[in-house]
Amino acid sequence: MPGPLEGIRVADFTWVWAGPTCTMQLAHMGAEVIRMESMRRVCTLRMLPPWPDGQPGVNRSGYFNQYNQGKRSIQLDISKPEGAEMAKQIVAMSDVAVENFASNVIDRLGLGYEELCKVKPDLIMISMSGYGRGGPESGYVSYGPAQVPLSGMSQLTGYSGWQPMHVGMSYGDPNAGLHAAFAVLSALFYRARTGKGQYIDMSQQESTMAVLGEGFMEYGMNGAQPPRSGNRVAHMAPHGVFMCAGEDRWLSIACATDDEWRALCGVMERPDLAGDARFRTLADRKANEDDLETEIMSWTLTQEPFEASERLQAAGVAASPPFMNRELAEDPHLSERGFFVEKEHPEVGVRQHAGIPWRMSETPCEVWRAAPIMGQDNDYVFGELLGLSSGQIEDLKARQVVY
Amino acid sequence: MPESALDRLTIIEYNRTGGAAYATKLMADLGAEVIKVEPLTGDPDRCLGPFPGGEPHPEKSGTFLYLNCNKQSVMLDITNHTGRQVLDSLLRDADVFIHDIPPAEAEALGLSDKQVRAGKDRLVTTFISPFGESGPHRDWKAYDLTTLSAGGWTWLNGWPGHPEMPPLRPFGRQSAYQAGVNAALATMGALLARLRTGRGQHVEVSAQECITAILEMTFAFWPYMNAPTARWGQRPIHPIDFFQCKDGGWIFVLCVEEHQWQRLVELMETPEWTQWEVAANRFVRASNWDALRPFMEEWVSQWTTDDLYKAAQAKRIPFAPASTLSQLLDSEHLKARGFFVEIAYPQAGTIKQPGAPFKMSETPWEIRTPAPTLGQHNETILGERLGLSGDEIKSLNGARVG
Repeated sequence: MPGPLEGIRVADFTWVWAGPTCTMQLAHMGAEVIRMESMRRVCTLRMLPPWPDGQPGVNRSGYFNQYNQGKRSIQLDISKPEGAEMAKQIVAMSDVAVENFASNVIDRLGLGYEELCKVKPDLIMISMSGYGRGGPESGYVSYGPAQVPLSGMSQLTGYSGWQPMHVGMSYGDPNAGLHAAFAVLSALFYRARTGKGQYIDMSQQESTMAVLGEGFMEYGMNGAQPPRSGNRVAHMAPHGVFMCAGEDRWLSIACATDDEWRALCGVMERPDLAGDARFRTLADRKANEDDLETEIMSWTLTQEPFEASERLQAAGVAASPPFMNRELAEDPHLSERGFFVEKEHPEVGVRQHAGIPWRMSETPCEVWRAAPIMGQDNDYVFGELLGLSSGQIEDLKARQVVY
Repeated sequence: MPESALDRLTIIEYNRTGGAAYATKLMADLGAEVIKVEPLTGDPDRCLGPFPGGEPHPEKSGTFLYLNCNKQSVMLDITNHTGRQVLDSLLRDADVFIHDIPPAEAEALGLSDKQVRAGKDRLVTTFISPFGESGPHRDWKAYDLTTLSAGGWTWLNGWPGHPEMPPLRPFGRQSAYQAGVNAALATMGALLARLRTGRGQHVEVSAQECITAILEMTFAFWPYMNAPTARWGQRPIHPIDFFQCKDGGWIFVLCVEEHQWQRLVELMETPEWTQWEVAANRFVRASNWDALRPFMEEWVSQWTTDDLYKAAQAKRIPFAPASTLSQLLDSEHLKARGFFVEIAYPQAGTIKQPGAPFKMSETPWEIRTPAPTLGQHNETILGERLGLSGDEIKSLNGARVG
């Protein structure tokens, strides 16, 4: 069975991380995604590590290869009028166009929605800029890591009493990419029923705020910025990440109910704590949370986290070590589920990549090919799709419209 | 002619973790009809808060209210036979059923994919679970914190210079939001496929995998370089750091591309340290950041947050402030874009909350109704639509049925 988006083609103008995360979802579902790549401003991700043996190269980045798996790549300079014209021809054969330049850049290239509609009237197009279109800051530049502080997430995240913190990754990017892919699919669904395309304006700042609902609700209800509280939350205790035996080894544990707390005491072999009046109910445990965490850590400090997790899970307690990349790569659970993608890549060989976090029973999703090397699909797109002769292609190459 | 993107789709939702509720929120806000099936005690998110004045109340939980606008609520005890039959009646006329009950419990309740879809060819079932529906950890128990750990996120979050501080959760139930947006996305994929095949299907979503799929470059560091990752991920380029301004606010200093750094050097009026070998390019600056950081700190501390933000952006350098919620609510930019929406909740009062995560030109994102009170639509859905009598509804909502 073909994937759910079989027959859908995507003109992919995206770069860095947010846009490529969107188009990767579409590729995972079976759409044909054509990345149009500039040689003059090579996608930042192609220039970033990790690289095998630490040797850089535009086709060697694990970062790029992760978020562009299953796509095609052509080398096309869309800043030249002829290049823009070719991009339009690709759009005319596509269903969806995706871009994440700073606001209005795509218009200056002559590839704005109105222009593209002339060649593809029912086009679905999404722009994913940092600040959205319109509004006094729409011209501002932004990258995913800056969306974490900009959206309010940094002020809400951090150890109690410490400064605002980052969240460890450029969350604004993938979160925007996933919301954008959902928006595109919803627009495709509407087009299927009405024949009408549309334009979607996404602000990464806004899509990040959309996943901070509980913070804004608290502010709206009580008029105060929620304080940074480390790993603690109001509705569970214990709720923390505890230091274990060894160097930089940790275990996260969360108990929502008194039963779970008593089960934790059982695994810790501390019946005294189960009966301790300081910890009997959630309210008690919240009121004495410092003591509670000290008691738990006196146990975790003697424990190996993966082994302790197994015993806690067997007793019905939610626990997991914080997995680092190696532990994920070697996790028997993820492997048995077939989560990882290992496809032959022309320059880096077979490398393990994260796969698709959902499974469909009737129209399976899959990664059909590793991420493309620069221009891997030039012949297919310029020759087969656009019908250019080899002479015409040579001529375009000579003028550096294509490469 | 449909007036909204997801007009005339009916979705039945049973929420436990926020994942199911966020998936259906995304769809409800684009016009789908969403019927929440709640146990007699209510969706557990009703107990979560935050609450006005910190006083728990099932109709005032901020988390619940945020996730459930535009939806209808019916109360059903699906653990008993009659309740389960009523749920089946609802599913017969539905397009999608989304729940986030863990697999073993779902099977025991008769809510696994096979049990639910039998005889309902067109139904799409989308089930979210912490670890998916197969594999040795299938039945591991999880809450947001432990799912974020199992997915690899908490390991990346913390303070690089303070190894004694624990791996840290980001704010909010991000594993639920991510499972939710992935579930909504995959559900739309299944609905598009149904237009072609005429058949529904089962979609399973693993929250752990949703997190592992978005770890930026940090996962790849193992298969590509055998390099383990550390707190605050890999930051192979610099500057990418927080600094405090003279007004006490925090600014995020970021240069991704060298041309941005060049303009920052201009803005700083080319101090000597920026010309040193150890600051020559983004990779070298990263290796030497401990030594360079104090210079940047000193320079930033002469600015107010807003002045520095504007000065950097005027030169197209991607700085950002660490916004507080009140700064965002007062932002002229967000006002001009009409981002926040004000919703009057019958019991919790009027609240300004995040609006559309994207704006579609032809099909509106809109909040039509505030989150439902528990069982608010028992009469209209169970009575008018399914034809149950008043007594039958009462008995469904009472202690015992049949």
